[in-house]
Amino acid sequence: MESQVIIPDIDPIPVPAPLWLLKVLLLLTFTLHILAMNVAVGGGFIAAITEFLGKKRNSQNHLELSRSISKMLPPFTAFTITLGVAPLLFLQVLYGNFFYTSTILIAWPWLSIIVIFILAYYGYYLYSFRWEKLNGKRFAVVLISAILLAIIGLIYTQNIVLMLTPEKWKEIYFNNPHGTNLNISDPTVIPRYLHFMVAALAVAGLLVVMWGLKNIKSNEQLGKWGIRYGLLWFIIPTLVNIVVGLWFLISLPKNLLMLFMGENIYATIYFLIALVTMFASLIFMFIALNAVKPVMKIMFGKVFLLLTVVMMVLMRHELREAYLKPYIDWEKVQVEPQWGVITIFVLLLLGGLITVIWMLKKSFGKSSLVVHN
Amino acid sequence: MNYPFWDIPFIGGGILIGLVAIIHTFVSQFAIGGGLFLVLTEIKAYKENNSGIIDYLKIHSRFFILVTLVFGALTGVGIWFTIGLVTPTATSALIHIFVWGWAIEWIFFFIEIAAAMIYYHTWDKINRKTHLTIGWIYFIAAWMSLFVINGILSFMLTPGAWIENRSFWSAFFNPTMLPSLIMRTAVSLALAGLYALLTSSNLKNEDLRKLMVKYSAKWLIVPFFILPLGGLWYVSVIPEMAFDIISGGAPAVTLFAVASIFFSILIFGFAYFLPYRHPERFPVALSALFLLMGLTVTAVSEWVREAIRKPYIIYDYMYSNNVLKVNEENVKQTGVLASAKWTIIDTKTETDTLKIGEQVFKLQCQSCHTVEGYNGVKILVKGWQEPFIDAQLQHLNQLKGFMPPFMGSEMERKALAKWLYELNRSY
Ligand code: HEM
Repeated sequence: MESQVIIPDIDPIPVPAPLWLLKVLLLLTFTLHILAMNVAVGGGFIAAITEFLGKKRNSQNHLELSRSISKMLPPFTAFTITLGVAPLLFLQVLYGNFFYTSTILIAWPWLSIIVIFILAYYGYYLYSFRWEKLNGKRFAVVLISAILLAIIGLIYTQNIVLMLTPEKWKEIYFNNPHGTNLNISDPTVIPRYLHFMVAALAVAGLLVVMWGLKNIKSNEQLGKWGIRYGLLWFIIPTLVNIVVGLWFLISLPKNLLMLFMGENIYATIYFLIALVTMFASLIFMFIALNAVKPVMKIMFGKVFLLLTVVMMVLMRHELREAYLKPYIDWEKVQVEPQWGVITIFVLLLLGGLITVIWMLKKSFGKSSLVVHN
Repeated sequence: MNYPFWDIPFIGGGILIGLVAIIHTFVSQFAIGGGLFLVLTEIKAYKENNSGIIDYLKIHSRFFILVTLVFGALTGVGIWFTIGLVTPTATSALIHIFVWGWAIEWIFFFIEIAAAMIYYHTWDKINRKTHLTIGWIYFIAAWMSLFVINGILSFMLTPGAWIENRSFWSAFFNPTMLPSLIMRTAVSLALAGLYALLTSSNLKNEDLRKLMVKYSAKWLIVPFFILPLGGLWYVSVIPEMAFDIISGGAPAVTLFAVASIFFSILIFGFAYFLPYRHPERFPVALSALFLLMGLTVTAVSEWVREAIRKPYIIYDYMYSNNVLKVNEENVKQTGVLASAKWTIIDTKTETDTLKIGEQVFKLQCQSCHTVEGYNGVKILVKGWQEPFIDAQLQHLNQLKGFMPPFMGSEMERKALAKWLYELNRSY
């Protein structure tokens, strides 16, 4: 009895949708969540460093950029939550018995996410609404908020890894049932986390590039500077992330590492495609750095980056399935789809998307990324 | 018993859920009524051609997004987090029944957030008609998310025909769904008025302040008539047991129910005599006091709503201690310890009765009781002799109708009785 792994039984109520549908929605909404998070977190760090450089070099360009980012941070933070709620929902139907258990073990750090998030979010609003008035304090305000949000990511990674390693639960729980544990000692947690965070800088860097492109018509000097500055924010973190990614890969237990080395055909293919698309996007961005007409190169770079992100999400999913393979028998999961409600969901989702697009079109007809005066 | 129990000393999980839920309800219901307040007031401003009102709305809408987008949205996620931690079994059941309900709510949530941000950022930037339309979209989406979530919440007290037919629609359109929707809508309108009193009493311009304070107070009138009707309807359809609990079965709950009504009347009464009749003499401090009373009403009402669901967490389906009703006999036969996954005690080898008793307490009672803190069991059994405790354990559900029956073997019951008895003796 003692050494056995305890896995809570799956819920006796059937799953109300085909598993594939739930998995697709989980991965789709998670991808969107991560992209929004990238801008909210990475953008915060870039803003902080840009504030710092702007002050040090007395540079108008840096100021213009940090002011523009300040306007984007609150909405992207809002998207991070809204797009985070959806995967949270699907994760619970699919992997609830793993997720609830690991969460209970780290209950207090997990709950602290709410408080940390509220503080960081208000920090971003302060930075945005009071940009002029804050003046000397801007650097500190935005940096603190970004760090707080980054801490949330670390708590997430710890939980998402802990839910995959039921072998550890028993010892943790019986040593401390008060929910004040952490999972930081797992050797995969830090590299896995850094892999996300460094990527956040790169993706947010691309937003800076887009900002440069938008401004190039009204102010060529500023636009060009923005493109170059943003490209560097993309290229340098991405180079760093190659190392971090390798670190993550070798930190995995041997049998899971081998998934990507041919053991699992899907995992291996995703991995290979990801390597190709990642290098492709790096090369395009490199060329764009010194190009006279960088628009198309950046376009290609972006598309390849997006493909890379999608591949990474798929790899992560295969990894999770492999971690849990000994503990889940998908065949045994009862499924009774509520097709009626699913249909309504799909129709409302379409209606919702149309509504939001309509609102955006009506209100920001041109673009909100342009510098307002 | 399927999940590890998160042990929170002194306050227990119930209080934690309550705390987060009260804060969230107070803010999110404002987010709904407040949406209607924004559009109707904007229409009023255009009709009366009063740019002062528009200036006020600009301030109020900033306050609005800061409160609802940040605090409202995150405390909502907070409830999810908390119920998953404290009552994972029930949360899992709800998710399995309602995942598409929640997915639909999420769509409205998304529209709501987008609309609120756009509404705030487009004052004077787009034409009036479009701006109003966006305001309406906000309000409708916000109310629809209430519509969906209310069906899920009310299900827990009155699962209705779902118990037999397991149909999503029966679960959603359950007996208390409509009356509680009406009550929550009324409350959201009242809260819109209360929050508006706060921002309007803070206005510098004398005339505008008078106008807006009086206008805000008017928002309390309609709910004042709707609320009691919704309340009566609600009480008439709740389970008998729940009704007994409110009407005297548990004095604390009765007290809270009365407090909820009392404070509501107080708010409405004061609103008539102070800000409505004398808007010129209505200081910010007083509006803060009003809000505080509103918070009190929210708190006691939510607390009552939770309390009357006992001994169930999902009525007629799952007991407060997470045991499914269908498994009741099973647990009685096998014993709690043997049915529980997360216990270190091996029933075959463990000989320490007190240890067994403590474990049984953890598994059977701790979802509602703490040892020495909130609803602390130590005080409750003070002065009871061991045989008396054991006798009570055999009729727990009669001792207090809102407790589930004790489910466990005789040995476990005796061990629990001994442990309970020793609580007061050994110190
Ligand atoms: C800015 C704050 C946040 C950051 C930095 C952040 C970051 C992350 C990261 C790095 C992961 C991946 C974890 C891993 O695989 O190791 C993740 C996953 C996730 N996040 Fe966020 N997150 C934030 C806020 C939120 C919020 C507020 C929610 C929910 C409302 C949320 C929902 C999720 C979910 C459900 C997953 C897991 C998806 C899955 O495993 O399939 N996140 N987040």
